[in-house]
Amino acid sequence: MKFASLCLIFALLVSGCSKEQNFDERELHLISLEKIFGFDPIHVSDRYSGNENGKVYEGLFEFHPLKRPYELVPNLAESLPTVSEDGLTYVFKLKKGVLFHDSPCFKDGIGRELIADDVIFSLKRLADPKLSAKGWWVLDGKVAGLNEWREKHAALESSNYEEEISGLKKIDSHSFQVTLTKPFPQFQYSLAMPYTFIVAKEAVTHFGKEFLNHPVGTGPFHLEKFEQGNQIIYTKNPKFREKFYPAEGAEGDDKLGLLADAGKRIPLVDRVVVDILPETQTQWLNFQKGKADLLELKSNYERAMDKKNEVHQELKSKGIRLFTDPMLDVTFFAFNYENPILKDRRVRQAMSLAYDRAEANKLFYNNSAFEAQSVIPPGLNGYRKEFKNPYTKLDLSQARKLLADAGYPNGKGLPEITVQTRSETVARQQIEHFAKCMEKIGIKVQAGMNTWPELIKKVTTKQHQLYTMAWGADYPDAENFLGLVFCPNQSPGSNGANYCNPDFDALFRQATILQDSPERTAFYEKMNEMVAIDVPWVFGFHRTEVNVTQAWLKNFKHMEFNHTQVQYLGVDLEVKKELSKKF
Amino acid sequence: MKQHSLWRDSWGRLYQDKWAILALAIVVVYSLTALLSFMGIIASDWAREVGGSNLPPSADHWFGTDIFGRDVLQKVIRGTRVAMSVGLATSLIAIPVGVVLGALAGYFGGWIDDLITWLYTTFSSIPNIMLLISITMILGKGLFAVYVALGATSWVTLCRLIRGEVMKHKEREYVQAASAIGGGHMRKLFRHILPNVTHIIIINTSLQFQVAIKSEVILSYLGLGVQGEPSWGTMIDDAKLELSRGVWWQLAGATLAMFIIVLAFNILGDALRDSLDPKLKGKT
Repeated sequence: MKFASLCLIFALLVSGCSKEQNFDERELHLISLEKIFGFDPIHVSDRYSGNENGKVYEGLFEFHPLKRPYELVPNLAESLPTVSEDGLTYVFKLKKGVLFHDSPCFKDGIGRELIADDVIFSLKRLADPKLSAKGWWVLDGKVAGLNEWREKHAALESSNYEEEISGLKKIDSHSFQVTLTKPFPQFQYSLAMPYTFIVAKEAVTHFGKEFLNHPVGTGPFHLEKFEQGNQIIYTKNPKFREKFYPAEGAEGDDKLGLLADAGKRIPLVDRVVVDILPETQTQWLNFQKGKADLLELKSNYERAMDKKNEVHQELKSKGIRLFTDPMLDVTFFAFNYENPILKDRRVRQAMSLAYDRAEANKLFYNNSAFEAQSVIPPGLNGYRKEFKNPYTKLDLSQARKLLADAGYPNGKGLPEITVQTRSETVARQQIEHFAKCMEKIGIKVQAGMNTWPELIKKVTTKQHQLYTMAWGADYPDAENFLGLVFCPNQSPGSNGANYCNPDFDALFRQATILQDSPERTAFYEKMNEMVAIDVPWVFGFHRTEVNVTQAWLKNFKHMEFNHTQVQYLGVDLEVKKELSKKF
Repeated sequence: MKQHSLWRDSWGRLYQDKWAILALAIVVVYSLTALLSFMGIIASDWAREVGGSNLPPSADHWFGTDIFGRDVLQKVIRGTRVAMSVGLATSLIAIPVGVVLGALAGYFGGWIDDLITWLYTTFSSIPNIMLLISITMILGKGLFAVYVALGATSWVTLCRLIRGEVMKHKEREYVQAASAIGGGHMRKLFRHILPNVTHIIIINTSLQFQVAIKSEVILSYLGLGVQGEPSWGTMIDDAKLELSRGVWWQLAGATLAMFIIVLAFNILGDALRDSLDPKLKGKT
């Protein structure tokens, strides 16, 4: 009897695990590789939170999902802004008839139309000193009167959003004007970033501290369920405005079938289920079982591809496709210039010369990454393919010589150096590899493992000797990378190396007010190569993004700025039904 | 009739238990391995590259190589040093604290007992792993922090056991006899009672040892433990990414090493209890 009941329990358990798949509903299954911060755009500083926010909220602009190089296209705005001749005044027009999601925060629970006041409110919110928005840097010092407003309100009890700001002026219900303090051509890019997504004032007031969990946007999806650390479910927004799949793409997109849905109304799916799975092994197993339609591989590429970077036969037979695309990013080990030993350029150059990039590429990126020569990645103006940094090659004898010149022959006299990194398996292995390389010239290196907030805190409070990180582009302009070594951006800003070079800074100030032009590109190239020689970082890699998709996922194309991508993705239910037998 | 001391009797009982002797031998082998590794005689060049990346086990490298081409067997041996040192250091911290506090609480009773009982119940109400993580966060990561963290969390059981035992003993005739001839509190407690509860310390230590080893592995797996040196925990952490590629030897090496020593300590702990405290034999 006991045995029989045990069997029954077991049978129930097993049957409970295998849920029947639904082949009638167009449902996307995605994986978020990290936990989500929440749904308040002004604090969304990481890619994964950005992706989730981008399903619910929208910005004035977005990047074209297919065209490359990246092209800024209007989203909530009707067109690109008109810019005055002096490059200071931008006039924006909004689309008409864009509705916010239905929510109890509105009168009768029905979402109202988006107007210019919402945009001004959202931008002021980003500047509100009481909220300490993580994205404040995108507006800091750029909009006339905004810094003054911020400083004034920092001392007051609460911020007054009604107070007019000279640089943010409403023209009529659907248009407004922004005046900048100095020409800054990248300004419009910042209006495609999650920080500047438009929120409704009613929602912010109504939900108060809980706003983070109750997003009310204009985007293609509603938030149906949000379980931090587990799962997020979205349903299609039935009142989403008429928005269509693009009819044009980059060269070759046609052949890849990326234009098959041209002209169709988006979003193409009814539901999106996002599982939050920070463990790589779990991510992979879920994808392998067909429970996820798309997966970005961060490491361990060998699971999916062979040495020639082609997808394994076994996966191919299930229709699984592999995408490897260069990213706009750079990995680095940044030195802290406040450390007297590391301030010595010869020590930095020696460490750079001792780092075996070829081996690291093989071990961690399956040889798919590009060795970085300086800060700007390929694909952006300012990157020169011919430029080779003399300190990024592997040259142990020169490294030893430089180290001896600096007064540390064979590393004697140097204390043990700690490299701060994230507490994660591959991050640890990368430091182990770095340490192994440095040991060859007598430098002892150990790893400092941190949670992400701990790491950020150490860097922003300058409590580090070296730290390692990767920087991904916020917008497709080299200014975004060169800013990482611009002196005024020192910690707690993004210049965690606390690198200061007056010549570089002077060029940076000149270049960044220019519109995209050969003149500006020349400036960027000069700056990029100037930094390279100074070695404020041991330059790492420009990585490639590796994605695997199931055969039934339609319209996937690598997007560096992919917050809005999900609305363009589709599911081929016929193919899914057919192939699901193989899983 | 020949007279035997109690210790010798116990040893006699232990000696007859073949499993216990095998377990003891294993513990001795592990300790020697750890000691030799500590002295730099074996596995001192574990960081050396001996072959290609992730080579499977072969005659040259019994447990294969890891991602950087280092010999996994050497790493396992080096990991033994970390594991055993953690067990030892934890015991060295936990035993004095547990014994002294337990003895004071049991002997004096009253407010001293209340205070100490409050202290250890508070400690035991916090989930162990949480406490470990917070202590390593405060002390910074590394072997020293692991020692302190585990030492600070593992004295509770011993303290409770000693307290109960001392309570029982303090009413016994031999203690009263000691009082009668003018023995002070400290003399009665440390000279008379404690030697009679030593067996509890021994049994508890052998069980505590393996708990400490397991905890170290968990902490290192979570990235909070040993830094810059192989530990079974970090090896298992590495292996979680390698498994899907069919690289199983690092996981096998680390878990096998851990399995054997933990099992040995468990068997030894049981056998010690049986031999040192014959009244308990057969009871669980």
